[in-house]
Amino acid sequence: MIRFFIALWAAKLADKLFSLKYGRECDTAGLVANKLCPDFMARVAKPKLVITITGTNGKSTTSTLVANMFRSRGQRVSFNDWGANIHAGYSVNLLRGVDLFNRCRVDVSVLEADELTACDTMPMIRPQYMLVTNICKDSLRRNGHPEYIYDRLKKAFERLGDTTVAILNANDPISSQLAQGTGTRRVYFGMEDTHTDPFENMVNDAGVCPCCGGTLRYRYRHYRHLGDFYCSDCSFTTPKADYLARNVDLAARTMTVAEGGEEYPIPLMSDTVFHAFNTLSAVTLFRELGFTPREIADYLSTQKVPGIRETVVEYEGIEYYTYAAKAQNISAASTVFEYMAKEPSKKDVVFLLDEMQDSNHPSETISWLYETDYEFLNAPQIKKIIVAGHMCYNHRLRLLLAGVPAEKIVCVEEEADVPSVVDTEGIDKVYVLFEIDFVSKARRVRDAIVARAKEVKGK
Amino acid sequence: MKIVENLFPELCNIYGESYSMTYLSRCNPEIDLRLTNHKTTPAFVTEDVDMIYLGCSPERKQEQIIQLLRPYTDRLRQLIDRGVIILATGNALEIFGREIREGDRVIPALGIFDSYAVRRMEPGERHNSRYIATFLTDEGEKLTLLGHKSQFSFSYGDFSRDAFATVERGVGMNPETKAEGLRRNHFFGTYSLGPYLILNPPFTKYLLRLLGLDDALAFEEEAMEAYRYRWNELTRVSN
Repeated sequence: MIRFFIALWAAKLADKLFSLKYGRECDTAGLVANKLCPDFMARVAKPKLVITITGTNGKSTTSTLVANMFRSRGQRVSFNDWGANIHAGYSVNLLRGVDLFNRCRVDVSVLEADELTACDTMPMIRPQYMLVTNICKDSLRRNGHPEYIYDRLKKAFERLGDTTVAILNANDPISSQLAQGTGTRRVYFGMEDTHTDPFENMVNDAGVCPCCGGTLRYRYRHYRHLGDFYCSDCSFTTPKADYLARNVDLAARTMTVAEGGEEYPIPLMSDTVFHAFNTLSAVTLFRELGFTPREIADYLSTQKVPGIRETVVEYEGIEYYTYAAKAQNISAASTVFEYMAKEPSKKDVVFLLDEMQDSNHPSETISWLYETDYEFLNAPQIKKIIVAGHMCYNHRLRLLLAGVPAEKIVCVEEEADVPSVVDTEGIDKVYVLFEIDFVSKARRVRDAIVARAKEVKGK
Repeated sequence: MKIVENLFPELCNIYGESYSMTYLSRCNPEIDLRLTNHKTTPAFVTEDVDMIYLGCSPERKQEQIIQLLRPYTDRLRQLIDRGVIILATGNALEIFGREIREGDRVIPALGIFDSYAVRRMEPGERHNSRYIATFLTDEGEKLTLLGHKSQFSFSYGDFSRDAFATVERGVGMNPETKAEGLRRNHFFGTYSLGPYLILNPPFTKYLLRLLGLDDALAFEEEAMEAYRYRWNELTRVSN
């Protein structure tokens, strides 16, 4: 206990100092806490309600939706909203929620959780709810493959036992199987056919039945391996959804949620099916927590896609977007490419997709290029694809192999050269697709593109 | 026509491996690419195939593949002795070794090579690295190979006769050796994962020649430019 308090006080002091120097998005104090007291996360006082949101895609957006719900109702929330979703991030987040005597000062803790390390951290934190958005292919370097991530999360639920309610995606043949045999309650969300006519992906994260190895088939798919699935050779099939999204109208940004005989309308904050899943998963959690459908709908009508993911400025009738694509996360990148193909405006697409660490790990990243559906970008309304950065020659080859005509591809090693090759007329939109670590760089490049458009107009 | 069999792509395409075979077949229309599902008998069992490819798979699937191929071990030995091209990338090469060890578990493999693998499935044990290696063709020509490793296991054994390539930068079959991969006649195995033939266009040209085909590549100029850029970059970073 003495060790814990020394860690708490030292970490609180460190947090003050580091926050002054680096701002609040610094988790070094959490490192201090964990170093001084390895079970700090277990000992630090938590609010009555701790919610963990994990999974490959959608966890940031979903956890933001959840945290904002509580804030909108005047509750005090601790939330690791700057992506600090491993040990140190949790610790700094939790220590900010207690006073010097380890008395909890917040009402709710919302933790966006890394799926790889959840089995080590969650048994200490012991959330009341753990929501898993989905399991898809992610960075091979860190996450290996979906089966490995499934095993890690399975272990997390086994260690948590029956004390943590599992909120799971019925339409995901991988993550829907979590928490079996743990005795805990499993709550499923799922979606009826959205008629989004998803493209076929070249890589299937759930190619075979996890029970018998048979071929996995779909009555319908939403995107990638998410859909209403069944095995051709055994009884493996989509679990029954406790919360079922119906009448999903992405263009109108509405859906209804059916639950135990009642059905209520829910607004969507985007026209994409993956954001509809994020919203649905949050609705499921809110209903489990006792919020009324009306409260949920009223709250969601005020929410927007987090600015970190998507921003837009307009100049002379052309919209200039920054749009997160998560390089090396092939499910996210392919989904964004599919959106580029289906979004009907005439557009230039700029790639800023090199992960920061790739400058130290060159060449490895070509693997994700050949799992990602560049073929989708061979669409007539995409006028030009500008590939920038040290991976540009790899992107160019991949685009050529995907059938994109050579004259549509512009290869520039230096990102500073991007604005000079972006069209300033004959298009409706420019999308700067960026790796998630490059939020400010993407905006800088986008703004430079706009500045050059203004310059051209001035001439 | 040259028959190239891509074994179990539904299990062994976790890092874009199958695109190697797509690329090879796009290089020459004389290639008849066969995709063999794990629920069917491989073509090499009953037909004279010219090349077999096996890519990287999740560890449970890797064990399943050992069981699927075990009945054909002698046939595979025969094909290797006969000089049929077999390419195994990522952890697929472990399938051809003696065994895989994980803690107290020992998973017997096909035993075509005498090496054994040791697997540790913890995040801290995932090994990520790149290599630049030298490969000697049958004619004695030196080819520079680039590789990327991301794996939970290493292989051990005596690689003095069976190495696929010699690593100049990076690690080989394990951190203690510069010997990379396995080779016997035209069996080529490397721990490098992903689309190896796109990563290494000179090696792809060599395979096309071994198949008795013209060695022109699809988008050769762009493929070579990307290769040279990666090679330079890897050389710079490794320094």
